[in-house]
Amino acid sequence: MIKEIHMPQLSAKSSQYFFGNWSKEPGEQVKRGDILFEVETDKVVSQVESQEDGILKEQKVKTGETVTVNDLVATIEVSEN
Amino acid sequence: MKQESKQQEKPEWLKVTYSQKKVDQMNTLLSGLNLNTVCAEANCPNLGECFGSGTAAFMILGPNCTRACRFCDVPHGHPRPVDLAEPLHVAQAAKRLGLSHIVVTSVDRDDLPDLGADQFVQTIKALRQITPETTIEVLTPDFQGKTEQLDKIIAAEPDVFNHNMETVRSITPKVRHRATYATSLRVLQYVKEHASTKTFVKTGIMLGLGEKDAEVYQLMDDLRDINIDFLTIGQYVQPSAKHYQLREWVPLERYQKYYHEAKIRGFKFIASSPLVRSSYKAKEELLAVYGK
Repeated sequence: MIKEIHMPQLSAKSSQYFFGNWSKEPGEQVKRGDILFEVETDKVVSQVESQEDGILKEQKVKTGETVTVNDLVATIEVSEN
Repeated sequence: MKQESKQQEKPEWLKVTYSQKKVDQMNTLLSGLNLNTVCAEANCPNLGECFGSGTAAFMILGPNCTRACRFCDVPHGHPRPVDLAEPLHVAQAAKRLGLSHIVVTSVDRDDLPDLGADQFVQTIKALRQITPETTIEVLTPDFQGKTEQLDKIIAAEPDVFNHNMETVRSITPKVRHRATYATSLRVLQYVKEHASTKTFVKTGIMLGLGEKDAEVYQLMDDLRDINIDFLTIGQYVQPSAKHYQLREWVPLERYQKYYHEAKIRGFKFIASSPLVRSSYKAKEELLAVYGK
């Protein structure tokens, strides 16, 4: 099953952030709690953890791009069970 | 709100982990209580860590501040009516979270006749009633230096009275609004002189605003002259391009140097590192002085 990963709300004050580095590449195994990517808000660089176990299928955002909350960021193939 | 420009490159230590699940859990726990946390309102870098470990600093008296300090991310705006259920809700939240130590702060309420002091008192009372084991730290405004308001807080006997100096004397007028170095020092002195010996008195400053070593040492001396117990030192992080411009990411060595200088001067507890905030890991200070 393909699961969509959307941009979380990282700051109460803003809904657009600078997308930082990916910590996982397509095809790589991802475990719940692994750092998936970095996002820069005004005050911090947040390392966002995966909420899923699976294989990273697609990166939908590139480093340096501006992302908005709820934007599709990635897809992860999760096992059915 | 869109970010206007990317600010200075952030240092490596400003990288924090964010777990949506843990933040959601905290928000669920607090839902229905109509409470504000300074963690969220000020976009604190430690939010993920603190929420993840089940702790938060509560900000009473509404989300809008009557002052517009140039370093602060809490919104300046028209104040809301005081929520009389708020003290009870803070106590219920502390109980739900099982907090062994709670930090209660507030926005400035220069519009209220009591400047917000009564809400602090009611919150302390509610906490004592509902979760008597929880130690209580209040991080208060300056109450315009009015001793009749400070007397109310003193009488409520918080375990820690905290009021932030924020910065050294020369920079204070540039970053604080309707607050002065002298008034804040007087507030701390008054509380130290009049509070029970069970109440520790604490203050905190930010680095990176352009302060010089000698000014920081002078501030430490001023604080020790009036026997202040705890000192926190952390890095200023500019909330947006409109706020006071960050002068420097202060190197770790300087935090260590200031820690030693503060230690020599006799503070009972010092927290000095970039991510230190006045409420960050506040219970560790009490544990340290209680020898636990």
